[in-house]
Amino acid sequence: MPQPLSSKDASLFRQVVRHYENKQHKKGIKTAEQILRKNPNHGDTLAMKALITSNLGQQEEAFAMAKEALKNDMKSHICWHVYGLLYRAEKNYEEAIKAYRFALRIEPESQPIQRDLALLQMQMRDYQGYIQSRTTMLQARPAFRQNWTALAIAHHLAGDLEEAEKVLTTYEETLKSTPPVSDMEHSEAVLYKNSIMAEAGKLEKALEHLETVGHRITDVLAVMEMKADYLLRLDRKAEAEVAYTALLDRNPENSMYYDALIRAKGIPDNDHKALKAVYDSWVEKNPRGDAPRRIPLDFLEGEDFKQAADAYLQRMLKKGVPSLFANIKSLYTNTWKRDTVQELVEGYVSVPQTNGSTEGEANGDNKDFLSSSHYFLAQHYNYHLSRNLTKAMEHVDKAIELSPKAVEYQMTKARIWKHYGNLEKAAEEMEKARQLDEKDRYINSKAAKYQLRNNDNDKALENMSKFTRNEAVGGAMGDLHEMQCVWYLTEDGEAYLRQKKLGLALKRFHGIYNIFDTWQEDQFDFHSFSLRKGMVRAYVDMVRWEDRLRQHPFFTRAALSAIRAYLLLHDQPDLAHGPLPNGADGDADSAERKKALKKAKKEQERLEKIEADKRAARKAASTKGGDGEVKKEDPDPLGNKLVQTQDPLKEASKFLTPLLEFSPKSIEAQNLGFEVYLRRGKYALALKCLSAAHAIDASNPTLHIQLLRFRKALDGLSEPLPPQVAEVVNAEFQAI
Amino acid sequence: MVDIVPLSSYPSYIDLLPSIQTCNITNLPENYFLKYYLYHALTWPQLSFVAVVRPKNGYSKHTAPGGAATASEQYPKVVGYVLAKMEEEPTDGVAHGHITSLSVMRTHRRLGIAERLMRMSQRAMAESHRAQYVSLHVRMSNTAALRLYRDTLGFKVETVESKYYADGEDAYAMRMDLTDMWMDWAEIERKDRLRAEKEGKDADEGEEVGELGTEKEKEKMVKVRVGRGLGVGDLVEKNESQTQA
Repeated sequence: MPQPLSSKDASLFRQVVRHYENKQHKKGIKTAEQILRKNPNHGDTLAMKALITSNLGQQEEAFAMAKEALKNDMKSHICWHVYGLLYRAEKNYEEAIKAYRFALRIEPESQPIQRDLALLQMQMRDYQGYIQSRTTMLQARPAFRQNWTALAIAHHLAGDLEEAEKVLTTYEETLKSTPPVSDMEHSEAVLYKNSIMAEAGKLEKALEHLETVGHRITDVLAVMEMKADYLLRLDRKAEAEVAYTALLDRNPENSMYYDALIRAKGIPDNDHKALKAVYDSWVEKNPRGDAPRRIPLDFLEGEDFKQAADAYLQRMLKKGVPSLFANIKSLYTNTWKRDTVQELVEGYVSVPQTNGSTEGEANGDNKDFLSSSHYFLAQHYNYHLSRNLTKAMEHVDKAIELSPKAVEYQMTKARIWKHYGNLEKAAEEMEKARQLDEKDRYINSKAAKYQLRNNDNDKALENMSKFTRNEAVGGAMGDLHEMQCVWYLTEDGEAYLRQKKLGLALKRFHGIYNIFDTWQEDQFDFHSFSLRKGMVRAYVDMVRWEDRLRQHPFFTRAALSAIRAYLLLHDQPDLAHGPLPNGADGDADSAERKKALKKAKKEQERLEKIEADKRAARKAASTKGGDGEVKKEDPDPLGNKLVQTQDPLKEASKFLTPLLEFSPKSIEAQNLGFEVYLRRGKYALALKCLSAAHAIDASNPTLHIQLLRFRKALDGLSEPLPPQVAEVVNAEFQAI
Repeated sequence: MVDIVPLSSYPSYIDLLPSIQTCNITNLPENYFLKYYLYHALTWPQLSFVAVVRPKNGYSKHTAPGGAATASEQYPKVVGYVLAKMEEEPTDGVAHGHITSLSVMRTHRRLGIAERLMRMSQRAMAESHRAQYVSLHVRMSNTAALRLYRDTLGFKVETVESKYYADGEDAYAMRMDLTDMWMDWAEIERKDRLRAEKEGKDADEGEEVGELGTEKEKEKMVKVRVGRGLGVGDLVEKNESQTQA
């Protein structure tokens, strides 16, 4: 039971709560202290003070206070609720759920506690718990539509589609009249129900439902897409054809619509004439579009292909479309088509004056056509399926000569140098491209990327800083972290890894790891927000996406690099002090090596001092400004703490575990998993990686070396494996 | 080949969010947290679109880890996007859309991608949200964008906002009327009532659901919800000021 307060203090307590809700934290604390002076052991007041303290960012103090509050009043739901909220702020969701449950036991009718519990259950994907909470909330306030929708979502995500649909229908039946079209919550809920039917495989029913309600749903495109999809899957071809034609009328630039339309029309793959006729009709309807012109090049053959390619290429070259080559190169797996394209474009540049279609046009247009063609050929000869770098360079130089200001041409020149293996020259040429258009961030990003490929981290950052908010905490690099610029952090970290500057490399990879944590955390507010907004289809898609967030190639790449860095650190622990000159890592006790190590340590200290000075300078500058919120500086900007870990392999698991969970089909992940587990002496897990790699690509060269190393490692064990393990390992190993 | 697809309606391409963020920070100086993209995708799922390069072997649906799809089929390359919203508290009291951000990779220009993205978004604003008009800001020096908005799409310059961008550049505030793409909601409702009467059901004739009535109701509804913006609301304010600072 709550401890009683005098009526004056009770009214003060209500003020504390109000101050908290209005975020008047200083006033709140003052008032709480006023109560506590008279009632020093008042649990609820202390708990509220703790909550406000936590909101001011003083977590440790807040926790101490909240514990004290609980000690004073174990039976107060407020104390338990606050305790839970503090855990939530720390992202310790399991403990928070426990605390909320205690609070609810004391005060089962409390809506706020129930709501906070439900939010966490969702965040933790405790669907059964969420169903329970949502059922209780619905019973308490059945008049609110969002309570019904929320319960349906709970069942849906828990996999009970029937129940989800039923809940939505039950609510609909309580409606006395159909809500107006402007009621978006209704519109979305109806469409949500429809999508659940389809997901349950009840396509007929979903289609029928859509036909009765679809006309009044305001997300018109979604209704058209769903209907077309259902029709095609139900093999109702004539109607599907109409539906996809309507979609193409809306958006002729979606190749999937054409795929579906062709299927609906039932045109066989080899009837090129009929296929071409369909695409031609769309070119006619939509002369400026690309898709219906480009797609036929995929299936046409022989003279038909040549004609169509000629028309396509000339048109695009005249328009100067920079992505033309990117759009064509997928044809090159067919060598005949590759050679035909080459022949055609070579023809454009060799005899431009006799080229019929350019005849009579202004000289300028002809020049543009010519430079576009040279640009195309430069990319063509730079591409791995048609590579001839000498020719590529000739063509790009001609293109640049004709149009010296074209950023894209200069970019391609840089790429050619990259393929020559000359990264320094490549970075230089890309820098020239950047200077052609200094206001464009795209080319700025490219120049920075090429500088990173050339291991020039400082120059790259200097370039990036032309577009970052350099007043951010931590300067340009701080802004790139804050703005979650994953590509740059990845390239920067990989450049450091190549230079064996493992501290900074790890720093960047952990930066990316943290960004993914933030992205996972980001969903929290939407558990309540989306219900209020009523856009529940997008919400459910978001929840499912969050569950596979770390499948993203951004994560996979950063995790692979992080593991490589940790493996290197494990194999050469001296690298913790920075890179060593070549040859110095040979003989373990040589004087030369000791000297190098000493030098590396000194360099590390020097860099650390520079960084500390910078920080101090920034701090001094920022206190001058003195506008309230001070953001924390990173105490370890060089990653020295990260690199000085005692157990690099254990740290590597932080990346390896999610990597193997979310990207098990990545052979690189399995290869690196083996390396980590072998070094840790976890032979069964190492073998698991070998088996998985074998299943992905039995001829992977790394795998074959690893198999031999595994055999050798087993043979060289000082203590044999426990017999059961040995048996399993041997049996599995034989299988590979 | 570049396809234009919805971001978070149906079918959902919400997995592309990190790549959209990358496209933005590669191309433009005005950047946002991923949460701000999420906020758009989850508040106005009809309005944002993405331009992606079709993978050589087509797209594949997202599968559980270990599924057959390769990363390139599940995460096609993003070369452009339009991030759009409805103005939440329109100062003129008129429901209207706003283009938060639009960009197309330099390597993929001159294909009409930006125009297509804009048209898709504008249509959805009119159909789904009855936006009277759509507004946007454009750098005064950005002649290519200006040509697209004014000459191709038909936007008009409303005002010049001095020092709108962080680097001190002025912006044209532009807008374009969308009412010609509105759907006739009154007609839909009238037909529904007739059909319901025919079916002998209680069509609830006592309550007129005319256009005027629904509009009022909608505005009222919007105001209440914005007031309770909580965590996401905080974020929005922060990012707005960031863009304009």
